[in-house]
Amino acid sequence: MSEIAFDNVSRVFARDGKDFLTLDRIDLTIREKEFVAIVGPSGCGKTTCLRMVAGLEFPSTGTVKVGGSVVTAPGPERAVVFQQFGLFPWKSVWDNIDFGLKCKGLPVAERGEHIRRFIELMSLQGYESAFPHQLSGGMQQRVAIARAYALDPAVLLMDEPFGALDAQTRTVMQEELVRVARKNPRTVLFITHAVEEAVYLADRVVVMTRRPGRICEIIDVGTVRRGESWDRLERIEEVMDQASFVHMRTHIWRLLREQQPDEH
Amino acid sequence: MGNALSAKQFWLLSAAGFASLFVVWSVAAVSGAAPAQFLPTPWTVIQRLVELTQKPFAGYTLQEHLWSSVLRYLLGFGLAAAIGVPLGLMMGWFRSLDHIVSPLFEGIRFIAPIAWVPFAALWFGTGIGGPTLIIFMGAFPPALINAYRGAKFVEPRLIEAAQTLGASAWRVIVEVLLPASVPSIVAGLRISAGLGWQSLIGAELIVASSGIGYLIVKGQSSISTSTVMAGMIAIGTVGIIIDVLLRRAEATINRRRGR
Amino acid sequence: MTRAGHYMRAGRATMAIATLLTALVLWYSLTTLTGIISPARFASPGEVWAAWLQISTQGYADAKLWRHILQSCMLVLFGFLTAIAVGVPLGLAMGWSKRAEAFVNPVFLLLRPIPPLAWIPLAIVWLGLGDAAKIMVIFVAAFVPSVINTYAGVRSMEPHLLEASAMLGAKRFTFIREVLVPGALPHIFTGLRLSLQASWTTLVAAELVGALYGLGQVLSAAAQDIFPAMILVGMIFVGVCGGAMTWLLGQVEKRAMPWRAA
Repeated sequence: MSEIAFDNVSRVFARDGKDFLTLDRIDLTIREKEFVAIVGPSGCGKTTCLRMVAGLEFPSTGTVKVGGSVVTAPGPERAVVFQQFGLFPWKSVWDNIDFGLKCKGLPVAERGEHIRRFIELMSLQGYESAFPHQLSGGMQQRVAIARAYALDPAVLLMDEPFGALDAQTRTVMQEELVRVARKNPRTVLFITHAVEEAVYLADRVVVMTRRPGRICEIIDVGTVRRGESWDRLERIEEVMDQASFVHMRTHIWRLLREQQPDEH
Repeated sequence: MGNALSAKQFWLLSAAGFASLFVVWSVAAVSGAAPAQFLPTPWTVIQRLVELTQKPFAGYTLQEHLWSSVLRYLLGFGLAAAIGVPLGLMMGWFRSLDHIVSPLFEGIRFIAPIAWVPFAALWFGTGIGGPTLIIFMGAFPPALINAYRGAKFVEPRLIEAAQTLGASAWRVIVEVLLPASVPSIVAGLRISAGLGWQSLIGAELIVASSGIGYLIVKGQSSISTSTVMAGMIAIGTVGIIIDVLLRRAEATINRRRGR
Repeated sequence: MTRAGHYMRAGRATMAIATLLTALVLWYSLTTLTGIISPARFASPGEVWAAWLQISTQGYADAKLWRHILQSCMLVLFGFLTAIAVGVPLGLAMGWSKRAEAFVNPVFLLLRPIPPLAWIPLAIVWLGLGDAAKIMVIFVAAFVPSVINTYAGVRSMEPHLLEASAMLGAKRFTFIREVLVPGALPHIFTGLRLSLQASWTTLVAAELVGALYGLGQVLSAAAQDIFPAMILVGMIFVGVCGGAMTWLLGQVEKRAMPWRAA
């Protein structure tokens, strides 16, 4: 139901009369409840991949399917968390989370229950009537994540969600996300260019090449994580200290380094 | 946003919109729903427009009226720019001047420029002074305000950079503040030009004995709707020309600065 | 506000008052005291005061001041409100639907360059010298800025907000009511402010050309009677009424957008 399948997907961009190939024959399957991160250099098309699953963009060739059906339009079953948060500035925290539920047609009482649960989950108590501009970046992104989770989506799409946050907030949010994601597992596609973030969060990490983006390698992090029991460690810095972590991170760095144009 | 349109569809719809206007107009005119006096056909208006360039109406031909208007306009606009821009810049740079002039300006700002017409009539009669005053009152505020904003909100880092490089106060003004304010000044002048042209028309409706505004008022009093409409077209055309010229100038200036 | 901020505010206010007082004193001296400015050309503070008393109590140009003010304000409100009732929805439609934009735009491009005041003679030919003609011209004047700015408001919406809305499953009316309009509201209010300004200017001009009552009519009569003091009274009240309406709109704006950072 929530399996994501990229089948021979290519994406061509036309500009000034010329065609640019941004994605080149992507074949990728993301299993149900799997957390997959895509890393790659700027412009490799990783965000485009996410947007195609979201239904905000469409492949030039090939198909993108979720749960067996081709994606034709955006919808709440494939919730998106944007880098710029995407919160409605004119709605309070409560109303922002409520909006999607309202569109689904849930009755008021039920919605209240729901919203309260996710406000608790993302530690937003006390901020229900605040407006986005009154919140820090980290808080706003919590609201965005709460909003996405409240939809009870089959698929969660996160487009560099922590890219706009400062380093410390980012670390805190990564820990939060791990906690929340383990509690509410669902299919997740996570885009980032921060390698450590990908290795820390994901079951599998997809490494993409420079434009035109192709899949370079897929690293199975989950097996190592479970084997080494990273989850028993509380802090992110402890996980990142593990030899196995460092090994995988360095491997991915090397792959990305090979992508860079030669330095003269 | 919404559904995308192909270029062809866009032009088709635009043409349809354009055509509908003329169709509705012509049908209304021809059907006799309104007396011919009140609603001439588009064709009649064009004919009248051409006629006015050859036969004088209300004292002069169309071109002569337009020339009259343009002269007054240039005078009023020129004065507004010549006074407003330097004054605005200085208000932006020297806080004390700002504190003195701003209250006075704020007080007067709310009085619509057109309300100066009675004084214009009293002081200048129907000569060139009257309309010029109104144009000035209309064109002055945007010129002043935008020059003021341009000067006041120059990025402080630019000034700091100049000062740490050892520039004298004079140099800072001429080589940093002034160039940095130029985009604002130019944008302000464009708005100023538009408002000035509008104020001119208003003034000429009441206190003039020549000019394009005078022409349409005379057309109204002789119930020659085609004259009125022809005049409106002339006014609109000149307005467009002014705006296009200024936008080109603005674009050229911005391009030279690498925007 | 900080202590320093308070002091600065107070300092500026004092300067403002000082400047206005100086201007007042200058005005008085140039007119009453020395007579440098002749009474035929400009009025002294005393004369303005007297004129104001006259028009408020006895009346001038066939009515007392309040009647003139009422007339002008009513016409402006009527024309303004009708114009935005048509203009804002049209702007929303044009901003959102490329089809609507393509169709309506040419008409707009043709009519826009014609200054609103240039419609006055045409309005008089069609509707006479009464209220109807004035409302028509005010409508034309207020209509254009409200459409253009509403359109700009829609176009300038952050794409992510529109994508989020689609992702959240908002259907058409919910989308318009809870996303499109609030998102465009800042620009819409800019348009409303411009429309109000234009309405007011156009009204005064129309009344100057010909009217039974109204502030413009007061100005016109005073000009004909060579009564500079009354002209000034008229101008002051044009400013006051215009300013009051603008202030009112500002209050509405603040309440309509409680989410804006102060």
